[in-house]
Amino acid sequence: MKFLIFSDIEDSAKQVMSFLKGKGDFVLYTTEKGESLTKYGAQKIVLLTGKPDVKGISSLLSDEFSSGGYDLVMIASTVLGRDIASLFSGQKSIEVIPEIFDIKFNSGTVTTKRYGLGGKAVIEEESKSKLFTFLSGLSDDVPGDGSSPIETKNIPEGVVKILAIEQKKAKEVNLEKANIIVAVGRGLGKIEGIQQIEPLVKAVRGELAGSRPVCLDYHWLSEDRQVGYSGRTVKPKAYVALGISGQIQHIAGMRGSKVVVAVNKDKNAPIFQEADYGIVGDLYQIVPKIVSYL
Amino acid sequence: MPYDIVVLIKQIPDLELIKVNQSTEEPITDGVPFKFENLSKNSVEAAVRIKEKNGGKITAVLFGNEKGTQVMKEAYAMGVDEGILITGYSENNPVLTAKVLAQKIKQLHYDLVILGNQSADSMSGMVAGLVATELNLPLLSNAVSIEVTDKIVKVSTATEKDVIKLEATMPAVISVTQETNEPRFPPVLQIIKAGKKSISTEQSTVKIENTSKIISKKAPKSERKRLIFEDVDKGAQEVAKVLKEAMK
Repeated sequence: MKFLIFSDIEDSAKQVMSFLKGKGDFVLYTTEKGESLTKYGAQKIVLLTGKPDVKGISSLLSDEFSSGGYDLVMIASTVLGRDIASLFSGQKSIEVIPEIFDIKFNSGTVTTKRYGLGGKAVIEEESKSKLFTFLSGLSDDVPGDGSSPIETKNIPEGVVKILAIEQKKAKEVNLEKANIIVAVGRGLGKIEGIQQIEPLVKAVRGELAGSRPVCLDYHWLSEDRQVGYSGRTVKPKAYVALGISGQIQHIAGMRGSKVVVAVNKDKNAPIFQEADYGIVGDLYQIVPKIVSYL
Repeated sequence: MPYDIVVLIKQIPDLELIKVNQSTEEPITDGVPFKFENLSKNSVEAAVRIKEKNGGKITAVLFGNEKGTQVMKEAYAMGVDEGILITGYSENNPVLTAKVLAQKIKQLHYDLVILGNQSADSMSGMVAGLVATELNLPLLSNAVSIEVTDKIVKVSTATEKDVIKLEATMPAVISVTQETNEPRFPPVLQIIKAGKKSISTEQSTVKIENTSKIISKKAPKSERKRLIFEDVDKGAQEVAKVLKEAMK
């Protein structure tokens, strides 16, 4: 079995390569320069240079797929990855199973798992599909000691003009590596409330995170601290959800946590269904109490 | 100059109202009301803002079921001029959805096609690219802003790392994100008017070969302990113990 992988995000590239190790040969196509990518057993790494035109990248991958003797294509579910996969699917007229978080290879078919109904269902399906987008968190990051050769290829230009590329602010935090995550939601009520959460974050040597509204709508925390389906997928040893109601969007990003603690005023909040330990009450009163017992 | 815009909208079950059948572990969708998918509202809003500034006509196309008329009326109230409901949607299948939509779009006049980038139920993120391929049009996806001048459309796309400024000549396909705009709440008078407007309805005839078969569709398993404390002090002590353990 030979896999063609595309990821424009280093973490996802490492996870999928760790996942595929021992299951077949694979080549990684990426726009990321990271030298560390060479340690995961890829036959080679193809560094794509030039402007990140999604049509250009999908055409290039499509050609490589035809000529390189590949069986399956795994594309990271990122903003660019989803576009590239959809164009690839359209160009090649092949079906795509999107957003998978697990895959097993049978003879001639694959069994995949993905979320449906906004995370309320896990759809397990068997198909002959050759093309998949995969969610971050597919596997742990397990580097080996090999050294894959790197070659470069230029991305062909398409009809869409890329006028400018501006880097977003550098990532402040790597939530995927945190042992303990303290996450705040809408229930925090105000941005100033974060100061009162910080002593807990410090005391447990954890990282601060937030739900989608807190990061994207109110900007109380930066975007790279957003946990959820559209943000980071995390699996810490302990996840503390403060004032987070537990919408399915959020749960999808923290489901893999070892222990979940929830604090919420509303005792019917769905987060308590997903918690090992829950405290019903005012988080501003409860957080200092927890700190005092640490 | 005026722009004719096709907006692709979606009805989805109200996800927060879905309960789980405890014996089969399957989510129950029967009887769950449908609602206007959020990103579809952002798409309509984007189209209406372009129309308000430049004129033109907005046609909304919805691939769903008979209950989609309610969603279409909401779209009318927001400013859509004409609505086409295609029935026959069953399971999520982005390739099929794109073919059904593209077949209809080909019969319409348009400068732009606007849709959401990743709908809240299936989250596939595939339909925009597939529609663009079917129509052989440039794809400008994940727009956080849209600007039109003459036959040129400019879009800013936010990826995980960068903001990329894109430009294409119309016609083009644009997918929007939640950050694109804040959808309007139409005034009551508009809603009443919208209720009287007709919706053209037709049955989908597109068939495709589908190799995938669903083995199971169950609620994700949650094996959490669910020890809930209403005694705040006791709860805080217990939680502190758990956190100390995790810090080791």
